[in-house]
Amino acid sequence: MTAEKITSGSDDHGAKKKLGIGFWLCVIWLTIMACVALFIPFLPLKSPTSNFVDATQGRPPYAPSWTHWFGTDKDARDVFSRTLHGARISLTVGFTAITAGFVVGGTIGVISGYFRGWLDRISSFVFVVLLSFPSLVLAILLTSLIERSLLTVSLVLGLLSIAPVGRLARAATIQYADREFVLAARQIGSKDHQIILKEILPNVAIPMSSLALLGMAVAVVAEGGLAFLGLSVEKGITWGGLIQLGSDSSRTLEDAPWISFFPILMLFLTVLSLNFAGDRLRAFFDVKEAAL
Amino acid sequence: MSSHVTDESSTEPLIETVGLRTHFITPRGIARAVDGVTVQIRRGQSLGVVGESGSGKTVLSRSMMGLLPRNGVIREGSIRYGGIEIQHRSPKQMRRVWGPEMAMVFQDPMTSLNPVMKVGKQVTESLQLHLGMSSSEAMAVAEKAFRDVGIPEAARRLNQFPHELSGGMRQRVMIAIALACGPNMLFADEPTTALDVTVQAQILDLLSAQIKDRHMSMLLVTHNLGVVAGYTDEIAVMYGGKVVERAPTKALFSNVKMPYTEALLQSIPRLSHASHSRLAVIPGRPPDLVDPPAGCRFAPRCAYARDLCRREEPELIQAESPDHTFACHFPVGSPEYHERREELSRMPAPLLGRP
Amino acid sequence: MRFYGQRVALAILLLLAVSMLTFGALNVLGDPLFNVLGPVAGDVNNPDSIKMIEAAKREFSLDRPLPVRYAIWLSDFVRGDFGVTFSSTGQPPVSGVISERLPRTFTLVAMAQLIAVFVSIPWALITASRAGKISDRISTLNAFFLLAMPNFALAVILKFVFSIKLGWTPLTYVGNDPLGSRLFQMLLPALTIGLPVAAVYQRLLRTDIITTLQQDFILLARTKGLSRSRILIAHALRPSLFSFVTVVGLNTGALIGGSIVAETVFRIPGIGSTLVESVLRNDFPVVLAIVMIVASSFVIINLFVDFAYTLIDPRVRK
Repeated sequence: MTAEKITSGSDDHGAKKKLGIGFWLCVIWLTIMACVALFIPFLPLKSPTSNFVDATQGRPPYAPSWTHWFGTDKDARDVFSRTLHGARISLTVGFTAITAGFVVGGTIGVISGYFRGWLDRISSFVFVVLLSFPSLVLAILLTSLIERSLLTVSLVLGLLSIAPVGRLARAATIQYADREFVLAARQIGSKDHQIILKEILPNVAIPMSSLALLGMAVAVVAEGGLAFLGLSVEKGITWGGLIQLGSDSSRTLEDAPWISFFPILMLFLTVLSLNFAGDRLRAFFDVKEAAL
Repeated sequence: MSSHVTDESSTEPLIETVGLRTHFITPRGIARAVDGVTVQIRRGQSLGVVGESGSGKTVLSRSMMGLLPRNGVIREGSIRYGGIEIQHRSPKQMRRVWGPEMAMVFQDPMTSLNPVMKVGKQVTESLQLHLGMSSSEAMAVAEKAFRDVGIPEAARRLNQFPHELSGGMRQRVMIAIALACGPNMLFADEPTTALDVTVQAQILDLLSAQIKDRHMSMLLVTHNLGVVAGYTDEIAVMYGGKVVERAPTKALFSNVKMPYTEALLQSIPRLSHASHSRLAVIPGRPPDLVDPPAGCRFAPRCAYARDLCRREEPELIQAESPDHTFACHFPVGSPEYHERREELSRMPAPLLGRP
Repeated sequence: MRFYGQRVALAILLLLAVSMLTFGALNVLGDPLFNVLGPVAGDVNNPDSIKMIEAAKREFSLDRPLPVRYAIWLSDFVRGDFGVTFSSTGQPPVSGVISERLPRTFTLVAMAQLIAVFVSIPWALITASRAGKISDRISTLNAFFLLAMPNFALAVILKFVFSIKLGWTPLTYVGNDPLGSRLFQMLLPALTIGLPVAAVYQRLLRTDIITTLQQDFILLARTKGLSRSRILIAHALRPSLFSFVTVVGLNTGALIGGSIVAETVFRIPGIGSTLVESVLRNDFPVVLAIVMIVASSFVIINLFVDFAYTLIDPRVRK
């Protein structure tokens, strides 16, 4: 029956074999953004908080021009500079959140999946409870109760990612814990923690790596949402905050759309890159898995 | 195309192929699944197509019915139904034919029936589409159809789902679906392979009776020579995408010519064999369809092969009677054949193939 | 029956856990006293302030230990008494606020879900039947873009294009308008929430339909002479819906989250925007009530998703 299974024009037949140029474009963009976030104090940008009122142009906001690449807002602050500063908080929160989520959630997931028993039951129940809230609602609830600094907001979002990450880690661990090479390792007397570190973790890391990118995208969007609603880092410049300022009144949005649109563009490209790269990674590893 | 095209009393074939070739484009190259097959089936006649997996028999039946996808498939040769060329017809045109003129029964009724649709509906669907019946008319016809194929409590069964029926009943349902619109040509693709042995005979009897009643033609594809023995008028043996022997059923069994056919016959386990005697098998594997061996395709596995066999591909030639053809340089019964048999009988291995 | 009973019991357990967590979080991390009295709460030296503090404590049971307060709140809550809102003068009951605003959010979320489902199904059918071809690849790219746009950003863009530049939809929601016009005003916000979700649904459904199309029974359907559209709709769709139904149910949470954003951008007074306002004002009873309502609906919907399986797949019905 092999002949029958030859289908025409099958889905991404060539694309699965390598990561593709799209993947590397995304990586380039993300690297640029990361550099911006890290090296902002050293970049020759205008100050994000100063007012660049120019009497010759009339009242702000000023449209994009050679002096102000992204234009200015109502208080004549430079949008380009503010947008790049926004990258700093948004990306840092996203990165920290997913890292924390991975460390905690991943650990809990792997341990539950490996040892099972009452530990597994408790952690699964906790996961289900956490997942019973729409995540934005929980994020709003928690951030409203605390002093909102870079760290605390990151940790709150990290807390929210523990459940999805933990569930995936657990499922992957369970899948591998039954395989023969683990049984073999146990036969030769390896202790549990050795097995986890050497046999299980390397395999679980593969599906988790694409989740890392996708998870970071979710965290960046979540932070953006919180910032838009006024619940992210206090006194910080964030993409969500910038977008909100630019769209708060219909007047502003109508007269000076660039105030919102450039931050939207940056946010969109970043999330798109994370999503696309994460997806490519998943497709790449999926095929390898199947071929084993 | 309507049924009146094929006159019941006609001696012209209902369906025929001339030099049919179906090649698949694969990453490794072009797989010649069906490589030059010429067959004819007259009205009321049933042809059994026998071969191993990879012989091309299923691809043949699907090509003849026109079911293969458009892309990645090279078609050559001619297929004529009721005298009309259908090889290059579009699926849209063929859809009018599928159901009222041609139907297919598949191997595994569990996967071939829609698991979430009631079986009655799966029959009435065709009736309403092709014969324009209302849903109540169609249900009545479907109930009768179920009874005709031997499903007990037909009315109740109409509202059941496939998983609620036994394997044999599911296959009966599939036959009912196939026969619903009264086609003239039935393709049966390993219809009993997935069934219990006891049920197999019942299903074959059912098919046989229906064929006779309706004066239908049938192409029965199977890997099991025992199946075709009692239920077909003619048999075509396929190997490596080609027909290597064709004869009326009795003649094939009594006057086998091609060594491959002989090997197939001998690999059928019989009650008359002593218990625990080894099953005769044909050693080796079917030929690579992308890169077939030069010469006769069976030569690498044939006990009687000689140099000529490996150099030159044998053509189909007539045996004693005109409706028996085969393709072999040194067929069963020839002097070279007997010579080789002598040599083999002096060797210890009971198998017929090369040790 | 056992199956249903187990599920319901689990759901109740879950809700209790959720309520405990929320109540605990609000009362431990926040300061209810402060919210009622303002700065007066910290003014422990002034005898008048102390009297007010004591009065407030008695009224809101703030002098009792936490578990007791929880029990009081819970018994009130299940009887529909959500307490009074802290931050408005005259302290109107929370249930009044909620009952006024909940229908709007419900309508919005329902509209969004309907849009998402009815857009994604034909979209998935069409792209599945043309899998691998150009139109499919373009559609995949579009879906990707849609998914990468956070819903608040999408809301801003849509508002800009349709309300401001094109003037097709009104800028604000007017509560007193007739029903038809109010529904129309919700259309753009519903699209904002619904379209990205439709992309998620479509992606999943398309994959499942493609898998189903490889099955043998589809080939049988072809041999019956059925047309391609009939095969897609009558044969391929239903067996492909299992994951779809789960995702639709589970995504309701995301839709509720999205409604928070949409209500804020388009100024619709529903419980989403109320949640944000109350949070910013530290109005605990409202926050608590809304969180509980949202979590409850979420849990109940998930329960229904489990039950809905039996409707779709007759094989599970045993």
